[in-house]
Amino acid sequence: MSGAPGEAGAAAHLREPWSELETGPAAAFARQRDGATFGIWIFLASEVLFFAALFLIYTAYRIANPEAFAAAGRATNIVYGTLNTAILLTSSLTMAMAAQGAEKGLFRRLTLGCLAATAALGLAFLVVKGFEYREDIEKHLVPGAHFALRQAPAQIFFGFYWLVTVVHAIHLGIGIGLVTRLLVKGWRDPDVLTENPQVEVTALYWHLVDLVWVFLYPMLYLPGRAG
Amino acid sequence: MSAGPDTPAALWRRNLPVWAALMALLALSAWAAYWPFKTLNTVTGFAIAGAKAGLVLLVFMQLRRASGLVRLAAACGLFWAAILFTLTLADVLSRLAGG
Repeated sequence: MSGAPGEAGAAAHLREPWSELETGPAAAFARQRDGATFGIWIFLASEVLFFAALFLIYTAYRIANPEAFAAAGRATNIVYGTLNTAILLTSSLTMAMAAQGAEKGLFRRLTLGCLAATAALGLAFLVVKGFEYREDIEKHLVPGAHFALRQAPAQIFFGFYWLVTVVHAIHLGIGIGLVTRLLVKGWRDPDVLTENPQVEVTALYWHLVDLVWVFLYPMLYLPGRAG
Repeated sequence: MSAGPDTPAALWRRNLPVWAALMALLALSAWAAYWPFKTLNTVTGFAIAGAKAGLVLLVFMQLRRASGLVRLAAACGLFWAAILFTLTLADVLSRLAGG
C-alpha cells in the first residue's frame, strides 16, 4: 500500500520478530501495516453489528409507537445535540489530518497538533454531554416513577437514549485515551509516529465512534420537530 | 499513499472541503427536521446521515484508496446488519399490516 520506508526505520517499527527467510524488514513492515488495517476493519465491522442491533430495537419500537417517539424526540435538546455533532465531525477532520500527516512521515508538528485538537474536541463533546445529562435529569427524562412525558412508550425512547449515549460516551472515552497515548509517545520520541500503523488504527476507531453519533443524531434529536 | 505534493497545506486542501460539506449537511439536517412533513423529514434526516457517513468512510477513513480485502471487511459489517434489519423488519411490518 504505502511506499516502503527505509530499512532502518522499518526495522525499528517491526513489532514481531521477523525471520529473514522470506523478506527484508521493509516488506515485512508493509505487510504488518496491511495486517493492522485489515484487523481494525474486522473489529469495526463487529462494532457495526453491535450498534446495528441497538439501532434495530429503536427502529422496531419507533415503528410501533410513532407518536410517543415524536413527543420524546421533541423533549431532547437539539442545540446540545447539533453542537455535539459539529464537535465530533470536526474531531474527525483533525484525526484524519493527524493520520495522513503521520502516514507521510513529514509533519510532526501537524500530527501532534491535530492529535491534541482531536483529544480536546473529544473532551469538549463529553463536557457538553454532561450539561445535557444534567438538564435531562432536571426535566425528569429518566424512565421511572417521575418520568415527565405522558405517553408510556416515550420511556422506551429514553431507555434507549440513556443506554446508547452512555455506551457511545464509553467508546469516546476509550478513543480519547488512545489518542492521548499516541500524543505522549509522539511527544517523547520524534520518530515514533512516522508511518506507524498505530496512528491509522486509532484514527479508524475514532471515525467509527463519530459515525455512530452521525446516525444517533437523527434518531435522538430530530423526531417530532415539525409542527 | 496518494499522488500530489506532500505539504501540510496540500493535506488541508484535501480534507477541509470534506469538513465544510459535513457541516453544511449537518445544518441542512437540522433545518429539514422542522419541515411541515412527517415521513419526508425522517427520510431526509437519515439520508443526510448516510451521506455524511459516506464522506467520512471514503475520505477520512480512506476506503476510497483501500485494498479490496479492507473494503470487503468494511462491507461485511453492513451486509450482516442489512440481513438483521431485513428479517426483523419483515416480521415487525407484517404484524403491523395485519393489524
